[in-house]
Amino acid sequence: MEWTVETLGDKLVGKPTGRVDEASWELFSESLIDAVRAAKAAGASLVVDLSSLDYMVSRGLRALTLAKREGDPDTVVILAAPNERMREILHISRYDKMFKVVDSVAEAV
Amino acid sequence: MLVRFWGTRGSLPVALRSESIQAKIAKALVAAGGRTFSDEAAAADFARSKLDFATFGAYGGATSCVEIEAGDGSFVICDMGSGLREFGLDSFRRIAEGHSAVYHFFLSHLHWDHIMGFPFFGPAFNPNATIIVHSGHPDAEEALRRQQEEISFPVPWEWLKARFEFVVHAPGESFEAAGLTVSLTTQHHSHDSYGFRFESGGKAVIYSTDSEHKVDNMASEAAFEAFFRGADLVICDTMYSLGDTASLKQDWGHSSNVVAVDLCHGADARRLVLFHHEPTYSDEDIQRMHNETIRYEELVRGESRPLEVICSYDGLEVTV
Repeated sequence: MEWTVETLGDKLVGKPTGRVDEASWELFSESLIDAVRAAKAAGASLVVDLSSLDYMVSRGLRALTLAKREGDPDTVVILAAPNERMREILHISRYDKMFKVVDSVAEAV
Repeated sequence: MLVRFWGTRGSLPVALRSESIQAKIAKALVAAGGRTFSDEAAAADFARSKLDFATFGAYGGATSCVEIEAGDGSFVICDMGSGLREFGLDSFRRIAEGHSAVYHFFLSHLHWDHIMGFPFFGPAFNPNATIIVHSGHPDAEEALRRQQEEISFPVPWEWLKARFEFVVHAPGESFEAAGLTVSLTTQHHSHDSYGFRFESGGKAVIYSTDSEHKVDNMASEAAFEAFFRGADLVICDTMYSLGDTASLKQDWGHSSNVVAVDLCHGADARRLVLFHHEPTYSDEDIQRMHNETIRYEELVRGESRPLEVICSYDGLEVTV
């Protein structure tokens, strides 16, 4: 998995590429935590751009929970542009009830 | 090895209400589409082949009790939930046919839903029976004696006729019992719980219920993958969705279907059994959870061995 961050408008956008699995969940979690701290410091929301993510396993999903907790109530974590596989995973895990999920990064920012 | 499920529900026994049964009948009649059947057997054949399990069957509502047939011919039972009553009655039948009257119990923990069947366990009154209770908890005997006290139940412990033995085991140390090699591991649950690994003839069965895999302690899951390593059958607590375990039901001591799949993939296990069903779930809810778990396994399998996902129900038998 690779992770990049950029600022778009008033949002911080983190983008994982590849898959979040047993081998990469710790890197994903650390990257997310760093990003949400940066967003929190800037008073911004964090958009996780899932457009280049193949899928993530439960440890990746739970890393999203840890990131959400790391922020404060004003630091919204938005999931953007999941592929069909990720949409199914978000539904099966019921994470689509815990996070705002939008169709595109543009919609999030 | 043969694994037989006598109780698969979590926390509290439940029973089908008439409206649920009526809904199943109505759904079956609609599926029949005006067909006629020569007799009930023909109708049952149609239903079995054409209806889903939640319509033709039921997952049942007895709490945790799982039997493993293997080893030296003794009875081997995990937990004493309300499913234990039916097992006890069936064991009388088998003893009459020549089965040994030695019972080896393995207790995951001592919460009510895992011991509530014991006061109704008929073999405890059999003077020829030997009942050996294996546990990681030093207070297992106290828990069983306490629920026989008058404030809870009319039959005191002293009236029981079987010979009892309580054995406390340390996690990480394997031991021999009932002709099986057994080991246990500590799990995150109120007052602790223990998962068991049973090995015989080159096969391994895991019983891991009431085990929460905490969001903020994911690194600890490597130890569970090691404990599950290469297992032929992993019986897992899959009571909640992952979302529930990370929010409202955090610290309730239970796990999810998707974490169970990931642990089994990481452990290179062959089959997963969904277990300890949420008592508020209808048969349709459990069936949906089963189907979603099968799909999740496909979605995240990657290079892992394909994992067969089985949903437990009261009465299920699985050959290992």
